Amino acid sequence: MVDGPVLLVEDDVSDYRLIQRAFAKIKPFVPMLRLTHGDDAVAYLAGDAPYDNRSLHPVPCLLLLDIKLPRRSGFEVLEWIRAQETELRRLPIVMLTSSGHQADVNKAYELGVNSYLVKPSNNSELEQLVSAFRTYWLELNEGPNLCG
Amino acid sequence: MSEPVLPTILLVEDTPSDAALIRRSFEKTNVLNPIVWVKNGQEALAYLSGLGQYGDRSKHPLPALILLDLDLPEMTGFELLQWKRSQPNIRRIPVVILTIDSAGSTVNAAYDLGANSYLVKPGNPEEVMRVVKIIQEYWLGLNQAPKLVLRATQGPTLIS
Repeated sequence: MVDGPVLLVEDDVSDYRLIQRAFAKIKPFVPMLRLTHGDDAVAYLAGDAPYDNRSLHPVPCLLLLDIKLPRRSGFEVLEWIRAQETELRRLPIVMLTSSGHQADVNKAYELGVNSYLVKPSNNSELEQLVSAFRTYWLELNEGPNLCG
Repeated sequence: MSEPVLPTILLVEDTPSDAALIRRSFEKTNVLNPIVWVKNGQEALAYLSGLGQYGDRSKHPLPALILLDLDLPEMTGFELLQWKRSQPNIRRIPVVILTIDSAGSTVNAAYDLGANSYLVKPGNPEEVMRVVKIIQEYWLGLNQAPKLVLRATQGPTLIS
């Protein structure tokens, strides 16, 4: 059971609110952090300023990554993480995007994503999806030792 | 109209009793997807490459998910992961490790070789059933699978 934070990189405010709300409904409480663009995600994961204090900005146990992001795309963030020489390269990454384009799905797997989920358009389906990925990745899956 | 073809699951497991339990659990949770069971990494490689008896892809389709034990005779799960990663097309197929070993170093090594997820085999049948149900719902229901080219042929090579 993982109780460390989940990092969501999502630029759309309404999507973020829906995901966050669905996530917060589930017990026990697991913190969800949010960043809005790819450069920030890389800075956070690298522990660069202003994220250089790990007690305030812990390494996440799971990354939920949108594809279309300002500055650096989700693909670029994914590629950057997998190229790291530190244990960060093993971070479980789930794409959470509105794009169900097969080319995007294929590319994400080529770049080493762990799983790819498409955001449903209605709220109850989104709640189910959030609950399912939480059960899978935080309860069932054995993660690499890098967070928490 | 023909019945829709359900995606195949490839189960790589050398212990017959474990394989039987996993397959029975899939049946009991009403998973109708065909489950192909192979006993070691070598046979998994043959299946994935379409070698020998597995040459006919209409009878032996590429799986949508691979459930892989690690401690296998002849070719280990790690060796299979390593091979798979170098294969165009096949390398996209999601792999869920399903093993009894929960040592941190083993888990890390599996992720380093490109495993998508790592699950520890539960000790009792009820738990196996629960895990199998979640695997089915997550990987065959929720997760978007990569598209696989059914023939192992490459596209035309661009000459620069």
